[in-house]
Amino acid sequence: MATSTTARSPLAIAAWAALALAVALIVVVPLIYTFDAAFYKETKIGLSSERSMQAIINVYTSWEYLETLWEAIRLALIVTAFSLVVGVLMAMLVCRTDIPFKGTLETLIIMPLFLSPFTGLIAWIALGSEKTGFLNVAWRAVAGTLIDQPPALANIWTYGGVVWVMTLFFAPFAYLFTAGSLRTVDSSLEEAARVSGATAWQTLARITLPVSAPAVFAAGLLIFILSAELYTIPGIIGTTAGFTTMPWKIYLDSTQFPVHRAHAAASGTILLLVTIAGVWMQRRVSRVSERYVTVSGKGFRGSPLRLGRSGTIIALALIGFYVLCADILPFGALLISSFMKFSSGVITPEVLTLDQYRDVLRIENVRTAVVNTIMLGLMSGAICLLAGLAISYAEIRAPGPATRSLAFIGVLPVAVPGLVFGIGLLWTYLQTPLYGSIWILLLAYVAKFLPYGIMVSHSGVLQIHQDLESSARMSGAGPIQALMKITIPLIKPSLIAVFFFVMLMSIKELSASILLYSDRSQVLSVLTWHYMDAGNYQFAAAIGVVQTALMLLLVIGTRLVFNVGLERALGKGGA
Amino acid sequence: MRLKLFAAALALASALTGAYAQTFPQDEAKLYEAAKAEGKLVWYESAPLEAMKAVAAEFEKKYPGVKVEVLRIVGVAQYQRFLQEVQAKRHSVDVLHISDYPSMMDLIEQGHIADWKVPLHDRIPEMFRMKQHAYANYTTDNAIIYNVNKVSPEEVKILASSWKGVLDPRFKGRFAVSTMKCGACYASLHMFLDPKFSKEFGPDFLKKVAEQKPAVYGEVLVGLDRVIAGEHDFTFWTWEGIGVTHVQRGAPIRWVRPSPTPEFGNSWQAVSRYAPRPNAARLFQNWSMSVEGADALQVKYGSRTTLSGIEDKRSVVKESWYEPIKEVYPVDVKRWERDFSKDLDLWAKTLREHGR
Repeated sequence: MATSTTARSPLAIAAWAALALAVALIVVVPLIYTFDAAFYKETKIGLSSERSMQAIINVYTSWEYLETLWEAIRLALIVTAFSLVVGVLMAMLVCRTDIPFKGTLETLIIMPLFLSPFTGLIAWIALGSEKTGFLNVAWRAVAGTLIDQPPALANIWTYGGVVWVMTLFFAPFAYLFTAGSLRTVDSSLEEAARVSGATAWQTLARITLPVSAPAVFAAGLLIFILSAELYTIPGIIGTTAGFTTMPWKIYLDSTQFPVHRAHAAASGTILLLVTIAGVWMQRRVSRVSERYVTVSGKGFRGSPLRLGRSGTIIALALIGFYVLCADILPFGALLISSFMKFSSGVITPEVLTLDQYRDVLRIENVRTAVVNTIMLGLMSGAICLLAGLAISYAEIRAPGPATRSLAFIGVLPVAVPGLVFGIGLLWTYLQTPLYGSIWILLLAYVAKFLPYGIMVSHSGVLQIHQDLESSARMSGAGPIQALMKITIPLIKPSLIAVFFFVMLMSIKELSASILLYSDRSQVLSVLTWHYMDAGNYQFAAAIGVVQTALMLLLVIGTRLVFNVGLERALGKGGA
Repeated sequence: MRLKLFAAALALASALTGAYAQTFPQDEAKLYEAAKAEGKLVWYESAPLEAMKAVAAEFEKKYPGVKVEVLRIVGVAQYQRFLQEVQAKRHSVDVLHISDYPSMMDLIEQGHIADWKVPLHDRIPEMFRMKQHAYANYTTDNAIIYNVNKVSPEEVKILASSWKGVLDPRFKGRFAVSTMKCGACYASLHMFLDPKFSKEFGPDFLKKVAEQKPAVYGEVLVGLDRVIAGEHDFTFWTWEGIGVTHVQRGAPIRWVRPSPTPEFGNSWQAVSRYAPRPNAARLFQNWSMSVEGADALQVKYGSRTTLSGIEDKRSVVKESWYEPIKEVYPVDVKRWERDFSKDLDLWAKTLREHGR
């Protein structure tokens, strides 16, 4: 690939150096603090001043920890497989066939992104508990008329329950990160298969899917990393189901007496190694996958695969079932819970109340948290967009050890467990004037979500062939002009994708916020956690509803401003 | 220990420079005037946020001009955050309220807690105070909380009669337990494993409880929530304070406390030695451990005060089913500190091996 003069101008080099310094301060310093803790001897409530390898040895060699690592990996593999099946199938149906209502379906498929794992868990506990879950109560009411004592329809407090909830949560990721690649598949290949007598479903399975395999693999790796790091759902349900994953062990080691901070940090190093391997593979695979999605001035258009009447009904039924399970049921359960005085399997007028919403309006903390959450979401989205684009642009247009290293380092926090990373962030900023202010949260969000900025914009920039910028330069445009007039407009969907995605992730972020917030920097995710932690699930549900509504409003607002849909932007940018 | 060395150095430096050697007015009016000049205080607390904000509002009503900033930081996280602030010399908190005895004792031993004797010091039983530094402002006592729609009056009698009532065959598979590592989650276990009860309870009793096939929860309050919903019939065991909170919301639960009942101070409140607003901090500490503070805590939070000679004004005590504790089991602090983790690990292991 030719090296861009835009990327090599003195101004660009200076800007890149400043960015590298900022990334070092925001990402590398907290990471060093985070993992340094693994090399100390522990006391009952913290770390001693004495260096020790004991925690590292324990974590890397004892069955107690290795078993939790295995459980995390096993669960992540299962969840990744199911999420890919569900997400990629939906992506193929929406992007490659003539299925009707595409816009509506796309929006419904990505809806679970508006639910945090925490609030999603509240919803599924209310829905899927064996005796009192809304689903089972309704099922028994119906099936009880036909058979005596019908068994439960679902039980969330099992291994299968964990897989189910996590799959529903991660399937939109599979959809988003494969849709872009699927949209650019050359349809002449599919047409050839159809001409040779293959059905629409056979064509999807034998032509479309294999051609998109690199993108599917890259999406799978991202889901694997994210699901291996998640602690809330496998932790809370896993204890009852009889298994413990490493992120939950880290949570226990970090928060319960006696604290095992060095062990938590040492466990974090294992997850970091898993991430490094995953990121390395993901980058190699995405390099291959992007060969299929190059914008070079020559586009290909083709007619979508025809599903036929029965095929359309089956496809709509499949997506409809997903929408029912991932959107309608959990959002409905969350909404119902937010109007209840206490948890109950039976909804009667006696258990209903408006108190939660009265309190939401009354409590000053909620108002402060709403303002802070909006501000932080917008700002971290914008910063990660600009920084991610700059890092990816430099890596692609001026490839070299320095630019590649910066891109690699910037991606690392993606799977460092938030609780462990949060302690590193706390140590970093404690000694600065930022401590106690809202800005410390902004820096934490940028550090945590910059990886998404880099990964998503990386794909976007790679799709734009160097020739387009070179043509502009030959026509008399300056380097900045070429960037602004050619590259930026072409990758606008990727940029908006980064903005949307980071904004949503920031609004939902909990693990670092809980360690860094102060009275002046309350955010909605922390407030939700406080009420859930204190056993007030109904008020937590009400705040969860506010949080979800806020995300929807922000997405609609941004959509109106930029005239690009989230689902379409992410679908294009996420390949 | 890195932090201890730092603390010692800081204490020495403080002694040499005279910093923190300030005296504070004992007279309430003078203390209030000085607190008013400071304008506010920051309170790190570990109980439910809204209840504690309501308690703080009562203080603000009594002392206009002194605002309380309430920040909920639970368990060991509060200890760690405070120590990190001390180490970085970023003193932001005035009053701490930590939900672990060992954490608070460690802070006192390291010299980070102010020596401040509240005016009603002598009315607080010894088990609820640490020297003249920290006070437990409410009691925590273990209870079997049950769903009134699931447990019959006859079954309630069995559960109330003895902790062993849970072993009745009729309760098999009907209750929830927790493996969470928290003070209130441990207190009853501490009693069951007390050597003086080795014949009555001990590991064998734990094994028999596990054989009753309870539902095991990692988070104690998730288990309680499922009892309230009717998924299980009762918890073996939680604590009265959390029961009161849910009853105030209308949840269909009640509780029994078999004898002896473990009772202890779970959350300890103290003034930071480095409080940026030392007068406001002391005024708040005095008020918290006063009759008015105790009343506010009982009414707004629902937990019983540790202050002796105070009427229990909680509405729940007027209920016909409510029974006060008959016999208290006082915890052994030293054994608690030594065996806490070991005993809870044994409990989790017993449930794993015999409960599934």
